[in-house]
Amino acid sequence: MNSQSAATTTSWPGVSKPADAWLAFLLILPILLTMVGLVFYPIISTAWDSLHRVDPMQQGTPFVGLANYTRMLTDNEVKLSWWNTFKYVVLAVTAETILGVAAAALINQIKVGRQWVLAAVVLPWALPAVVSSIIWRWIYSPSAGLLNGILVLMGFDYDNHLWFNDGTTALLLVTVVHVWRMLPLTVVIVLAAMQGIPTELYEASRMDGATRFDMFWKITLPLTRGAIAVAMTNATVSAFNLFDEAVVLTLNSVETRPILLQIYLEAFRKFHFSYGMALSLTVTIISLLISLGYVLRVYRNTRMG
Amino acid sequence: MLISKYGFTFTVAAFLLTGTAQPILADDAKPFAGQTITVLLPSPQDATMAADFEKATGIKLDLQTASWDDVSVKVSTALLAGTAPADVTEFDWSWTGQFSAAGWYIPLNDAIDAATLEDIKGSTLFNINGDVLAIPYTNDFRVMMVNTKHFADAGVTATPKTLDELVAAAKAIKANGIVKYPIGLPLSATEGASTSWYLLTKAFGGDLFDKDMNPTFVAKDSAGFKAMEFEMMLLKEGLVDPSSTGLKDSEINDTIFAKGITSIMISGEPGRLGQFSDPEKSSVVGNVAAIPVATVSGKTRSFGLLEGLGIPKASTNPGPAKEFIKWMTSKEFQVHNYGNGVLPTRTTALAEVEKSGKLISGAALVEQAPTVEALFPAGAPTWYPQFSLAVNTSINSVAKGEITVEVAMQKIADAVTEAKKQ
Repeated sequence: MNSQSAATTTSWPGVSKPADAWLAFLLILPILLTMVGLVFYPIISTAWDSLHRVDPMQQGTPFVGLANYTRMLTDNEVKLSWWNTFKYVVLAVTAETILGVAAAALINQIKVGRQWVLAAVVLPWALPAVVSSIIWRWIYSPSAGLLNGILVLMGFDYDNHLWFNDGTTALLLVTVVHVWRMLPLTVVIVLAAMQGIPTELYEASRMDGATRFDMFWKITLPLTRGAIAVAMTNATVSAFNLFDEAVVLTLNSVETRPILLQIYLEAFRKFHFSYGMALSLTVTIISLLISLGYVLRVYRNTRMG
Repeated sequence: MLISKYGFTFTVAAFLLTGTAQPILADDAKPFAGQTITVLLPSPQDATMAADFEKATGIKLDLQTASWDDVSVKVSTALLAGTAPADVTEFDWSWTGQFSAAGWYIPLNDAIDAATLEDIKGSTLFNINGDVLAIPYTNDFRVMMVNTKHFADAGVTATPKTLDELVAAAKAIKANGIVKYPIGLPLSATEGASTSWYLLTKAFGGDLFDKDMNPTFVAKDSAGFKAMEFEMMLLKEGLVDPSSTGLKDSEINDTIFAKGITSIMISGEPGRLGQFSDPEKSSVVGNVAAIPVATVSGKTRSFGLLEGLGIPKASTNPGPAKEFIKWMTSKEFQVHNYGNGVLPTRTTALAEVEKSGKLISGAALVEQAPTVEALFPAGAPTWYPQFSLAVNTSINSVAKGEITVEVAMQKIADAVTEAKKQ
């Protein structure tokens, strides 16, 4: 049965086509209203307000065109926050993808008790970001921290070592906490895709003399490409949204300040509301464009393949 | 039928007693009796505040408390959204410029008489263009705190009056192995780092701005510049814990000074004397004293960081809210509230507490109080948050060795210039 004939036979018995269409419309109406009210309207309203000067300390909300957007180009704090954010995105997405795929492949090999391993792996993702950040703050603590304690036990001179007094190290350590929290999601997404690969493909390739690496490289990876793209999209968006880890571990420090924290400070400390809106929209657009890049690339590859 | 008749009678009686009957039954001296107001203040507050206020005024009190930082976020986000965070809220001295420009709080001129304003001298910090936007309820100014046992153990008997004497005392404590880092000084990118630098700038005999609000801290021979160099010297000499780059002032107070791990708090809060004298919160009970701020010249200086009570314009209960402010800033309550570590803002209340012999380090506080200056004599400017943020992030970067003091000072001055343009 082709799709056209399927469409002609899906009407309910005794129900006319217009009534069918109304029913469909009514069914999607709640989600349509939710999306319009909670997504599209706020985005349009924010975009419109970002073209005005919305500052509670100044009278009126005059139209300022793209002034809030051009201001970003000369704002050194914003530029530094963007630079920090790009570092977070590159480091976090790379680490989450490589480690996530590797972890999923390993878990996929487990035959007994896989659900327990998976439950343990998912745990960091289930924790609120602030909680996991506080846990890691204790781990990194100079005097009583687990990290220094282990290094000292191993014979290294790390007694009272301060991890956050070097900007580069601090940024890496904030990234570690973010990766620790978000990695499980990549594992779950990729593992689900791996479990959908027919075992016959592996059996056939084994008969053809393929090694484990060949099977991973030529079967597993191509067939999980779509899932990896989804995981990378999620990793990118979450890395752009990094906030709690930086605030808890390094407070407002400029060396580790991500763009989202800068937006918070602009909007809620300095009360530059429309500037904060312009920055928020820019983050949204850039993170979506980068994510779109993965999706289009995967789409092209899968169609070509 | 009988049931419905009694039911009707009961309903009418209940209605009269709970609803419309209130104005008729209310005491003339308690015009808002039966009404409820919400109050948002930093924790902790007096445990019996709600019950005592209801007993005095008949007004029910829904008291919400949180940490100062959380209260600050809650207040600003609610006000930006056009709603009232509560009928009465915390109103920090540094908010005066911003909140006045935004028109978020109602003037309290009609609620407070001239005698009260005269008695609470700090209320000038909340007076802008003739409008009194808040009434101060806690007398927060800066003194220095010392652990007297550490001083005695190190053989330091004289109270340091100059910064040189203070450093010498700290070095003696460290040399005697009493503590590793004798000076508590926040160097994190938080407000506590800013206020410590403001205090040290005054200790070096200068101010942050001239009368036209131009920065006076960029020149190398300025007090502000020297104050930051002094902070870095303390760090370099091993007198300040290097991990202070990640610690808030509250953390240094609660987990380091209160545990006897450090000996001197550069920017001490008189309100914490009660906490340091409480065995449940402190292991240095009986060994802590406030001393007047040591300065380069030996003539002490300080500044006030008063916290007040204000009523948002969006409040729907301004009448009972004013009653609460009158009650909480009354002399009687202020004397009582000192038991909770809140230093009175009324001169008469402070005198009464001192007279009763309950004022901890009373002599030092009484000596410091007349030297308390306003950080911004003309009122906190609207760009104070930008300035403060630039100050503490720069101090943090200098302490971590990311930038020099010279670069930091220029960055702060640039932030002020940029903020003024907006």
